[in-house]
Amino acid sequence: METRQALRPLSSLAHATSSVTRTPVFRSVASRRHQSTTSRTKKMLKIPPHPDFLIPRSGQNHIIYNPPPSAPSVFHTPFKFLPKSDPRRQANLIQLLRSSSGSHTSRGSTALPPPSRTVETRQKKYNVTREQVEEMRQLRASNPVTWSVIKLAEKFDCSPLFVMICCKASPEHKDNERQRLEAIKARWGTIRTKARDERKKRKVLLFRGAL
Amino acid sequence: MPEWMRGARSNANGSLIDQSHESPEESSTPHQTDSSQRSLPSPHPDRSLRSAKLAALRARLSLSSKIPLQVLARALVDPSADAHPRFNNANLAFVGASLLQYHTSEWLVTRYPRLPMGILFAAMKGYAGEPALDRIARAWGVEAAAAPGEEVDPGYLQFSPDKPTVMMHKWGYARAEAKELTKYKWRRGMSSRVVFDDPFGKTIPEQTEELEVSDARNIREMIVPDTEKNAHANLVRAVIGAIYLHCGSETAKTFIKSYVLSRELDLSNLFNFKLPQRELTRLCARENFEPPVARLLSETGRLSRTPVFVVGIYSGHDMLGEAAGASLDAAKISACINALKAWYLYSPGDVGLPSDTLAEDATPWRPVYVDIGEIIS
Amino acid sequence: MTIRALEKVSVGQNGIGAFILQCRKLDVHYCNQSGSSRGMNSFIKSQLSKFASLNPQIEFAVSPRPRKHPVLIGHYINGKHKSICVKNMDSLQILKKAELLRDASGDKIKRVNKPITSINESVRGVWSPYHGNGMAV
Repeated sequence: METRQALRPLSSLAHATSSVTRTPVFRSVASRRHQSTTSRTKKMLKIPPHPDFLIPRSGQNHIIYNPPPSAPSVFHTPFKFLPKSDPRRQANLIQLLRSSSGSHTSRGSTALPPPSRTVETRQKKYNVTREQVEEMRQLRASNPVTWSVIKLAEKFDCSPLFVMICCKASPEHKDNERQRLEAIKARWGTIRTKARDERKKRKVLLFRGAL
Repeated sequence: MPEWMRGARSNANGSLIDQSHESPEESSTPHQTDSSQRSLPSPHPDRSLRSAKLAALRARLSLSSKIPLQVLARALVDPSADAHPRFNNANLAFVGASLLQYHTSEWLVTRYPRLPMGILFAAMKGYAGEPALDRIARAWGVEAAAAPGEEVDPGYLQFSPDKPTVMMHKWGYARAEAKELTKYKWRRGMSSRVVFDDPFGKTIPEQTEELEVSDARNIREMIVPDTEKNAHANLVRAVIGAIYLHCGSETAKTFIKSYVLSRELDLSNLFNFKLPQRELTRLCARENFEPPVARLLSETGRLSRTPVFVVGIYSGHDMLGEAAGASLDAAKISACINALKAWYLYSPGDVGLPSDTLAEDATPWRPVYVDIGEIIS
Repeated sequence: MTIRALEKVSVGQNGIGAFILQCRKLDVHYCNQSGSSRGMNSFIKSQLSKFASLNPQIEFAVSPRPRKHPVLIGHYINGKHKSICVKNMDSLQILKKAELLRDASGDKIKRVNKPITSINESVRGVWSPYHGNGMAV
């Protein structure tokens, strides 16, 4: 999958040189699927071969580069996961050079797609001190309703997960929360209950890689 | 089949058999003394020379003529049909099971050195476990006898569903806490499974009280849940054991390769992850890669009812895995899963097996890649 | 212990690794008196023993069926059987039929539309609209 991006400029260069001639008629009717007769339809749907498969003007042998338009197989180990002893590592020179030059080159950073969420690139702050954790626990123990996890996270500028790691609510509070949730669930109609059940099933399938 | 045909066939087969081979016939004295009073529990070994079914089975499996028909007939007798250890297949099956487990595990470990232990156990079971062996035996065209007995053709597989048999799990220890494990569902770690349990990571049930059928050797006898499956699986193991005894280890290895390891099992479908994101982060930290970042490769219909997001997991500038999903979270999780599978299913290709060096003119062993271990164990 | 394993069983394909002849038994029925079995009787006398020794994987059972037409019945590993009535045929025709039964897989005869059927994953993967650069048409 990495090679594709790396080789793309090379292959596009090859396309430019091969200069396939296409009939202008073909382009104009491309949106239509059929003609009035079979032979015309067949003629219209006759697509010229992929430029990579054509013999270049010079008539020399060339490498056909036609990557599959499909998601990569998991049996195709990414370059980074190959162990040092693997011969495929030495064979893939482009990747080897790129990994040895490191991430300092500006060329790579521009080519990277955007992060899916802003939190992806967030740096970890490690800003909460030991005393603050103690304070957090006291607050949570004193009044778990007003000092909810979200509130504490806002106050100490950390993630809710970190608050949950630090503090443990009292069993009464947990019981109350559970009862409140069950009351909400009891109000759900059949459609919503079914939708929630199916969401759970989808989640099971997702973790099996079957979705 | 008319009698003249039968005679002709058995002569053709009988002439190939080395009569001096050690086979159950020399130990048939207890059987013969028995037969004066009551019928035998399984057919007499001498009758196997005249069985057309048995000769056909041997030819179907392309077994060497070095394996006497009597031994093949013995491989078809389950301990539940004949409790006498010299006339049932328990001993042959034990040899066969250990060979099968050795060759399967060595093949899997050298081919996929990074498989986690749990997946390795499941793969072992998929290739050499009871369900797979049962299917193999059925593909051999072996029919089961309605009930075992002396008068049955020796070419039928003989077992009885209501009598105790032998389970092939002696490579392991019955844990001291076996009872509590089943009762309270105690947790078993992977390392303890490697040490204590059977080759498929299942606990070995506690030794039940001695059943009176057991003779001196077959101690751990019990009623198995599916006798038919167990009997078919034991047949495959016993045939492998017989090949090893009469034709040597190389032939047994070839047989295992062609009948067991040539089957198709998609290892990428065996994984069931719990925390793929955390596991991938830990992996990158362990291997000194940059922390993984989910990046959006393409998307369509974000505000529609059926959006699709294609998310790739990047470590630095290298993409580790990618997947499409209906939400950003789902796509990220399945991309992480794909990246982890790509890590675990790394294969160094067709490197040699340790057992290749057992052949006479073998090249010296070149060490293969060994992984340092699981990410979160 | 963050990964659990799912249990799957390996799938075998006959001919990959080892080939097993799918015909496991051939019943040969004949009649001593009827004229329709004349060819069958000569097949049994002259050709069956050679055919049987050439195909040791198959168990042969020859049995008389008085006052009935001669018949060949092939039994297969998948549990099915195929029978061919060979009345009034000569021994060479019967040999052809026996070979047909031997070579059959025992499955029902189906129309094969695809030139290749495989359980292996495609080398180029399943086409996805989100991958590849496409081709301008």
